[in-house]
Amino acid sequence: MALRVAEEGLSSCSGCEVAILNLGERLLALAPQLDFVHMPLLMDHKYFGQLGDGDLKRLEIPQAELGLVSGGVRNQEHLEVLQAMRANCGTLVALGTCATHGGIPALINGLANAELMERYYRGCETNDPAPDPTETVPPFLERVYALDEKVKVDIYLPGCPPHPDHIAEAVLAFLEGREPALPHKSVCDACPTVRQGKGQLKSVRRFLQNAQYDPAKPIADMRCLLEQGLLCMGPVTRAGCSGADGEAPRCLKARVPCRGCYGPVRQNGNQMLDMLNALASNGIDIKTLPDRAGGLLRFSGAHGRLRPRPAAK
Amino acid sequence: MAKTINIQPVTRIEGHARISIQLDDQGRVADSKLHIMAMRGFEKFIEGRPAEEVPRIVSRICGICPWMHHTAANKAVDQCFGAQVPPAGRKLRELMQVMAHISDKILHFFFLAAPDFVMGAGADYKIRNVLGLAQAAPELAAQVVKMRQAGQMMLERFAGKVIHPVAMVPGGFAKPMSQKERDELLAGAGEQLEFAKFCMKYAKENVFAKLDQDALSLGRITTGFLGLVDPADGSLNLFDGALRLMKPDGSYLDFNCRQYADFLGERVETWSYGKFPYARVWGEGFSMDLEAPKGIYRSNTLARLNVCDRINTPLAQAELEEFRRRFGRPAQSTTLYHWARLIELVYACERVLEILEDETITDPLVRNPVEPRAGRGVGCVEAPRGSLIHDYVTGDDGCIASANMIVGTTHNLAPMNMSVRRAALDAIKGGQVSEEALNQVEMAVRCYDP
Amino acid sequence: MAFEPKILAFSCNWCSYAAADLAGASRMQYPANLRIVRVMCSGMVHPNLVMEAFSKGADGVMVLGCHPGECHYLDGNIKAQARLAVVEEMLDAYGLEPERFRLAWCSSAEAERFVEVVTEMTEAVRGLGPNPFRPTRPEDAQEVA
Ligand code: SF4
Ligand code: SF4
Ligand code: SF4
Repeated sequence: MALRVAEEGLSSCSGCEVAILNLGERLLALAPQLDFVHMPLLMDHKYFGQLGDGDLKRLEIPQAELGLVSGGVRNQEHLEVLQAMRANCGTLVALGTCATHGGIPALINGLANAELMERYYRGCETNDPAPDPTETVPPFLERVYALDEKVKVDIYLPGCPPHPDHIAEAVLAFLEGREPALPHKSVCDACPTVRQGKGQLKSVRRFLQNAQYDPAKPIADMRCLLEQGLLCMGPVTRAGCSGADGEAPRCLKARVPCRGCYGPVRQNGNQMLDMLNALASNGIDIKTLPDRAGGLLRFSGAHGRLRPRPAAK
Repeated sequence: MAKTINIQPVTRIEGHARISIQLDDQGRVADSKLHIMAMRGFEKFIEGRPAEEVPRIVSRICGICPWMHHTAANKAVDQCFGAQVPPAGRKLRELMQVMAHISDKILHFFFLAAPDFVMGAGADYKIRNVLGLAQAAPELAAQVVKMRQAGQMMLERFAGKVIHPVAMVPGGFAKPMSQKERDELLAGAGEQLEFAKFCMKYAKENVFAKLDQDALSLGRITTGFLGLVDPADGSLNLFDGALRLMKPDGSYLDFNCRQYADFLGERVETWSYGKFPYARVWGEGFSMDLEAPKGIYRSNTLARLNVCDRINTPLAQAELEEFRRRFGRPAQSTTLYHWARLIELVYACERVLEILEDETITDPLVRNPVEPRAGRGVGCVEAPRGSLIHDYVTGDDGCIASANMIVGTTHNLAPMNMSVRRAALDAIKGGQVSEEALNQVEMAVRCYDP
Repeated sequence: MAFEPKILAFSCNWCSYAAADLAGASRMQYPANLRIVRVMCSGMVHPNLVMEAFSKGADGVMVLGCHPGECHYLDGNIKAQARLAVVEEMLDAYGLEPERFRLAWCSSAEAERFVEVVTEMTEAVRGLGPNPFRPTRPEDAQEVA
């Protein structure tokens, strides 16, 4: 019998779902073994009956062996969908960094909801100012939560988005009844750049001009970007973006520094704390870094990591 | 008895939405709404971030069209910092952005929309999707999956990251293109163009040929249109240009993107987190009344083909001419969004080849250094789903002081609400609600590919 | 009930812990709010530990080491000093007052100084009130189903 799969996106961007589609022909090959019973991006199963006349208090998700959820939890609807997914899926996968650590949308956790509403519905140049929408739309929660702040998560698949190789590995391992083999080291570990020690570095600079490298030569000949004085989050970020047999981390392939989109190396690590500590221990003045909280917790602001500043209260 | 029907979630679309339809005691459609259920607040939370980082953040607005946000943001930051982008940097940017249109259109047409036409609007929902399509037409599906994948991999091989890209940077591009990369892309782009021609032919024979009067009037409304055109000759331009706002009668105003707030406004309704842009400059206010709409214009593929005077690539221009002969200008039928989408697919493939054929694209100077400073920038591109506007103000430290954005889909929120109403009125009669009728209401939404 | 702050002190084995011992042996009074964790060197106290203490509800955290130049491991206390900036930064990000953390030096003979700094710290934190970061709202407690 085919494996029943349910998929949902909460406070998400659909990029994780596109990453699934980017399995390409591998997805077609897997398709006969999978039975997608629910996946709003691709198929038409509805929460409240196919005729839209169901009880709004009973959100329906079909039973499935495997559930994939992308996105964090931002409003009441997300919470209800997540709880229904948990209740109906045997194994629940947090798909993507929004689901595992809040992701980019959790940057809002540095602000109070009221500030957001004020700006969005009354402050923008093009706006005809009006009260916040409140009718028939799901109320906001106080902030953005990662899935495991609300329900139990069985498998964590971070990445913004996760590499298709690892999505395939998670599904295949499940089909074969084994633990998925996922990377657990840091991005630096998968990075081929040349490391010679930091030299006289006392500060890190903003990415206002390109890194120094010879475009005719491979990435393995480029000096580590952190050693070049650019902030690179590789040391404190979970490896994975280079895929199963990738040449280099994705951003490094474009010759730009890592910004930490796979979240911390350990699921409960703190990218900001670890990066500041790494810089400070190497004698780099951390005050030379602009936007420290928003920059270093760019992808992992859930779990109470990013909070409104007292001054903003 | 009066009741409310909830289509939730609206499926095979990019975002998160719900449709509610109120039936009165006689079972007639009394009201309907398309609700946007969430708002993430990018405008607010990019405040205080160093502007050069923002193009890597706002890409997360949409994982289907991240290149569009990446491009618009870079253009806005360039202006804030007064950066001059070297010619090769500019070419690489346009190349990436137009290439991203290609995979997007294949995704939308075949993965999201086509099941309604190929499997049938009333087919069992369990097979009315791309996987059902793969079983019904395995060769077609294999070809589609392969070509979409090839397009994504072309971007990925050159630019490192295809979903949530990082290769564009304020001042230009992060890496130059080698001759080898150019050759590979040229070969790939040639195949994409062949595939685009095949798609057009396939759709004309199997989908568009079957569009009868009923299908063409699905969710029909009469509105104005908005899109970028090349200021030199009024031709279609996805990457840069002036905004053209056309009235339903075909008359239009062209304006510089920086002035968008003088021409467009946004309404807030109590029942949707999405805001409703409207043509402020028409001075008629805002109304979604089907009989007497006010301030309503549309964006996205059909809009672009309506506002442009011509297309500067030969195959797409021939398609446009045929399209105009049959449907006039501006064409109003909502279903024609799909047709227009495939014409743009042909254009995008031709344009990519054109850009790649320019050998100066391999020039090693792709980025000029930028200096953080106070300024304002408005970056505008045509995203698959409509005109995308990013407006940033930076402080002296080069960090974002304030930001406003109007994303492609948002322009179409009012028209989509109207098309939903129209489709519901037409499909639901005498309280008879069927799965097919409800799917037709969603099909009206899918035309806009929100 | 009056607020009694909980303060956690990481004290190094060679200097400040010995000072605490001496204070105890000399029957000097110091606030009962203090919980002391003995570490071999102040340089061992990773900012992670400090932040974890806050996230578990400590109202104040101290790291107490030897005077500069007197470190048993040569430069452990200098490392602790470099990491101070990290803790300050983290407190700021978490919306906590910088006064909730203090790094101080005292030698094994300075029982009086030990009593003085911990008393000062206790009073300062008492003035700040409870750690707002302490999970009190049910929203913040993990609702693991
Ligand atoms: S993890 Fe990234 S790709 Fe996935 S939903 Fe979040 S923002 Fe989108
Ligand atoms: S710091 Fe960045 S450039 Fe250096 S090794 Fe790590 S990932 Fe590579
Ligand atoms: S290099 Fe870093 S930011 Fe870039 S894709 Fe990899 S983990 Fe994400």
